[in-house]
Amino acid sequence: MNFFLSFVILAEIFSIAALSTNLLMGIIGIFSVAQAAIMGIGAYTVALLMMSGVPFFVALLAAIVLCAAVNVISSLPSLRLAGDYFIITSFGTQLVATAVFINWQGLTGGASGLFDIPLATIGGWTFATARQFVLLSTLCLVAVAGSFWLLMRSPYGRLLHAIRQDEIAAVAAGRRVLRAKVGVAAVSGAYAGIAGGLYATYISFIDPTSFDIHVSVLVVTMLVVGGARTLSGSIIGPFLLIAVPQLLAMIDLPSTLLGPMRQLVYGLILIAFMVWRPQGIAGRRL
Amino acid sequence: MLYLQLFVDGVVSGCAIGLVSISFSYFYSVTGTFHVAHAGIYTLCGYVAWALVAAGAPFIAALMLAVLAGALSGYATQHVLYQRLADRQASPLVMMIASIGLLTVLQNIVAIVFSPNIVQFDMPWRVGHLDIAGVTLSHPQALIALVSIVIFVGLTVFSARTDLGKRIRAIASNAELAEITRLDPKRVFAYVLAISSAIVAVPAVLVGVDQAMQPYTSLIVLLTAVVAMIAGGIGSLPGAFGMSIVLAVIQSLSVALIPGRWSIAAVFGIFILFILLKPEGLFRRRFSRAL
Repeated sequence: MNFFLSFVILAEIFSIAALSTNLLMGIIGIFSVAQAAIMGIGAYTVALLMMSGVPFFVALLAAIVLCAAVNVISSLPSLRLAGDYFIITSFGTQLVATAVFINWQGLTGGASGLFDIPLATIGGWTFATARQFVLLSTLCLVAVAGSFWLLMRSPYGRLLHAIRQDEIAAVAAGRRVLRAKVGVAAVSGAYAGIAGGLYATYISFIDPTSFDIHVSVLVVTMLVVGGARTLSGSIIGPFLLIAVPQLLAMIDLPSTLLGPMRQLVYGLILIAFMVWRPQGIAGRRL
Repeated sequence: MLYLQLFVDGVVSGCAIGLVSISFSYFYSVTGTFHVAHAGIYTLCGYVAWALVAAGAPFIAALMLAVLAGALSGYATQHVLYQRLADRQASPLVMMIASIGLLTVLQNIVAIVFSPNIVQFDMPWRVGHLDIAGVTLSHPQALIALVSIVIFVGLTVFSARTDLGKRIRAIASNAELAEITRLDPKRVFAYVLAISSAIVAVPAVLVGVDQAMQPYTSLIVLLTAVVAMIAGGIGSLPGAFGMSIVLAVIQSLSVALIPGRWSIAAVFGIFILFILLKPEGLFRRRFSRAL
């Protein structure tokens, strides 16, 4: 039962990360392969603040604000220039963030990471076991998914879709495209911050490999498998893909090959979906 | 003297990155596909040569076979994956995600088939070195500099003078017209990726000989190469090659000021400066392709 619950918790955390990527890639059409890096910034922020005695809720708020700011700043140079520049900015953000996590040893603990991150506590409630934590992660997912749903139904959401379909037309119609893009980057960063904060307190251990480029590619895979642009897609994808390592564990592999094998399966899934079903299971055409 | 040594080291590694940059740029400016999996082919070729040398093949044969492996995998990538996606009117985003998938697959096949750990070529001559006016150049470094310049000049001449080179440029400037006039863009795209991948095999093997190899590091090399391509002006081969050297020299000299592990941040910083100040690159006034 605990095993199943921890699967659900991880899938819910990654659903939040997938929604963050969905806003950028699915809704507004900006490529992003750095959401794990932003999530990592959230995780390190929550971990460091909580380890110095700040309550969970305040730490999470700080992470949300910081991640929103970093996501906007890291994307700002490219928001004006559409297209391929964002690919470089995105890869660059991810690689630089990993370099910072590894090399800023005084703060992040370097390659060995941070451990003994305190448990999440809100108003006397402690979320220690999987059974307790699943309440918190579900609550967060419901809040994020709800805001995503409301955002998509608002006039602002329609503007975002319009920008993806024809940016020049949106500008010509007098819409403030740059402001909308900055806003989306901020919301997307905030989602990633929530995902990172939950991850840090649930696992209670974080290191640079928890948020490296492979994790970013995994989040992208989750998004395209579930289907971009829809709410259900971003939830179906993570639940399916978090199950992959569990299935691989049934095959008897030497432990050194386990990581590469898992990555290989993710890569093959990514290619297969792009060739045969680019809209994913429950999404729209990318 | 230290600075001169760092400068020369920078020029040499810039030549290697330059080959990655011109080969990426060649394919990108013709097809517009952002071929991230180029880094995967780089990894694959390096390990093919390493495995052949470990099995007792002479180095020259191993290098040639790695180049062949690059050409074949490049041809197959365009033919089996990118062309199929293009036929289905896939958006650039979909092509790009498929390319990331291919990169992941190639890197992990290498890790599973060969080794997930750091490997080094087992050849005695790789540690030998030349001393020229107080600057030390290892044998692989000398080879990298020499071979890179030959290949760079070769590709420039090929693109300007030969029939296939002209045909490729014609297709790059107007693919629809090329289709009508039976230049057969689909086939040529596969040739271009085969040529690019054959070229990228060379720095993959030689840098592997000079230093060491690890399946997952090639993406940083590619990122530097792409930054050089953008800074040099997309579509300009001399721009890409020259800026690769400039970037690598800056990276190498920066070691005197900041620890080497931050060099990726330095490259990325330069990129940010470029897209803020001079998004069209140094050697080109206007984009030939919407970016």
